[in-house]
Amino acid sequence: MGASTRGQALRAAAAGGVAVGVGAVAGGWLRPQPTAGKASPAQDARIFNFLLVLEQAQAALYDAALRSGALQGDLLAYARIVAPQEHDHVDFLRRKLGAEAGTTPKLDFGPATSDPKRFQAAAIDLEEATAAAYIGQGANLTRGSVADAARIVAVEARHAAWIRDLAGADPAPRAADPPRSARDVLSELRRKGYLR
Amino acid sequence: MSLTLGQVDRDEALLEVVAELHGDTRADFLRTAALGSGALLAALAAPASASAAVTDLQILNFGLRFERLQASFYTEADSVGTVGKMAPRKQRWAEVLGEHERAHVRIIKKILGSKAGKRPFFDFHGVTETEDSFTRTTVAMEDLTVALLAGVTPQVHDRRLTAALFGLLTVEARHAAWARNIVKTTPAARSFDEPRSLDNVKEAVAHTRFIVARPRMTRRRRSPRFTG
Repeated sequence: MGASTRGQALRAAAAGGVAVGVGAVAGGWLRPQPTAGKASPAQDARIFNFLLVLEQAQAALYDAALRSGALQGDLLAYARIVAPQEHDHVDFLRRKLGAEAGTTPKLDFGPATSDPKRFQAAAIDLEEATAAAYIGQGANLTRGSVADAARIVAVEARHAAWIRDLAGADPAPRAADPPRSARDVLSELRRKGYLR
Repeated sequence: MSLTLGQVDRDEALLEVVAELHGDTRADFLRTAALGSGALLAALAAPASASAAVTDLQILNFGLRFERLQASFYTEADSVGTVGKMAPRKQRWAEVLGEHERAHVRIIKKILGSKAGKRPFFDFHGVTETEDSFTRTTVAMEDLTVALLAGVTPQVHDRRLTAALFGLLTVEARHAAWARNIVKTTPAARSFDEPRSLDNVKEAVAHTRFIVARPRMTRRRRSPRFTG
């Protein structure tokens, strides 16, 4: 009965989690994006181009905040360490995408680059959105790309926990992190004015 | 504060693994290398081995064993009073991590159903009894979990499982970063987390001797240990 039981448990988990018996993690067990086709190099490229936008947005926020000279203490130390890591992610994805890499999006962080409190809030927004986007796309990638995404998303989650801790927010608010769709993530960034 | 592996790894279990893999010189170097340096993490990640194919069942059952180990570790630290004596911010941290690991055990058990392995016995050799040793071991264990999940997530065959593991990987990475921030070491030491294979992590866990054949006779020692 093992295989079918396990299949049932996974289906129940995928359906939203009540059956998992752990209400707190319900959100973390959603099905992969229904629009996703079978994993393929072409689909990897579409997904990596979406993730590239998020990595570029993060790098741009940290670069601008560091240039403004408004950050001090723990926030400054955070931005100094995290900025080059986001640039490494951008470079990595660009190398993977080669000629298929999209252009840099138009970004605007307004006062978040010069006001530490707003910077903190924007950094949390972007780190959380990026981690959730990787979770949402991870299972749609080919196996080799899953390995790449896993190594990067762990670092994004570390950033998210770190900046939340500095902001006095719970670094790990759930037992399992929920995925978010590309549409959902991009519309949030547009609504907040980060992405033009 | 700069942590070294020698400080974290009280029983030198991880160092033993590294020594076996790389020879003693490497382990001596690691004993004093600051935790978080690229060299240390690269060494812990171990040489990429051509690992034989593992099944989803093997991955899940080892995951269950490892989550049980962690859950028991936090539960014991709480029950022996170590967590209760910590500062409020740190107390909250230890409690949340314990809750999450216990939730992970329930999730994986549910997925495995009748295929779930039996709960092993644990003996943490007093590591849960002082704030210092508890905290240091936690940092090492959470980083190890991140490396394990980064290693096995691309190995699973069932895509629903891949999706689920991503959501656990990020939580373990949050735990690791939070733990590191608490001990004032860099929460994100490098741009890419290094994966470790299932066998590699199995070996590291075996060397901690935290999993034992039969239950410990007494929960608490009456006299302090002098060996730690």
